[in-house]
Amino acid sequence: MILLKFCWILIVVNALTIGGGFVMLPMLHKEFVEKYHWLTNQEFIDAIAIGQVTPGPLTVMNAFMGYKIYGLLGAVLAMISSYLPCIIIVTLVAKYYYDYKESVIVNSSFKGIIPAVIGLLAAVSISLGKASLVDFSTFGIAIVSFSVIAFTKIDPTFVIIGAGIAGALLY
Amino acid sequence: MLTFFERELVEKHKWLTHEEFIESVAIGQMTPGPPIINTGICIGYKLKKIKGALVTILGQVFTGTVLAILLAIFYLKAKNNPLLGSIMKGVGAAVVGLLLSIVFKMARKTIKDYKTALFALAAFFALSVFKLNPIGLILASGILGLIVYGRETR
Repeated sequence: MILLKFCWILIVVNALTIGGGFVMLPMLHKEFVEKYHWLTNQEFIDAIAIGQVTPGPLTVMNAFMGYKIYGLLGAVLAMISSYLPCIIIVTLVAKYYYDYKESVIVNSSFKGIIPAVIGLLAAVSISLGKASLVDFSTFGIAIVSFSVIAFTKIDPTFVIIGAGIAGALLY
Repeated sequence: MLTFFERELVEKHKWLTHEEFIESVAIGQMTPGPPIINTGICIGYKLKKIKGALVTILGQVFTGTVLAILLAIFYLKAKNNPLLGSIMKGVGAAVVGLLLSIVFKMARKTIKDYKTALFALAAFFALSVFKLNPIGLILASGILGLIVYGRETR
């Protein structure tokens, strides 16, 4: 039952991930952490880090969460559920590209969704910040990583690995 | 990454025309899901139909998924290890910085007038203060977008 619910959430969330891979985070956080308590805030943050440092898209983090929740089967089904909506939607759009591109419904609804998801992501970042920024050093690491990723071209993966080393040295 | 794709697929192997490639990139960006994966699905589908789409996904996510599973096994075993705890404390802080920088970059690109700012602020307060469900909020912002922009887009 948990597994079915887990897969269904991933299908819905991935069908609504409009505007970039990070958009899935507010939805997954609400469902997995706040509603069903399958993961703690800390585990969710760790999953994001793992999605970021592994090759491929952030969605790989779903395999990590799937494993945590339901073992190997959970991980495999997590990936299938994450990409199922992509396959269906993309192949349909590839067929009807010009209708889709000109569609008033698609264009105007996306125009509302794309700024809204920024607000959602900001809100979830703050609530995760409350869980992981616990002292002066963690605040410092967060500020440095924000500045480096926002204002330089350095790959976020290196920032995360660097922060891990900093954590090992500091604590 | 895209320039690499273009060189390999269009120039070297001539599997796609330049126009088909550009179209695939555009489709990747305007469909739900990770853009790079969706571009891959689209190219795979153009080449070998559904088989091509499946193979491209597998190629793009296989390594990452296997690594994520291995890390998950390790993570669950070493959960109470103090060294892992301190590493993850640093990593967790960096993730928050990463998320905020993504917010910053997306906002710089998207928030251009008071309407887009209102959409973003309304969504922010709806989630952080009123604890509404993000799935519902995304659907609602789509419907609101349709109402606000529907006429001018036409």
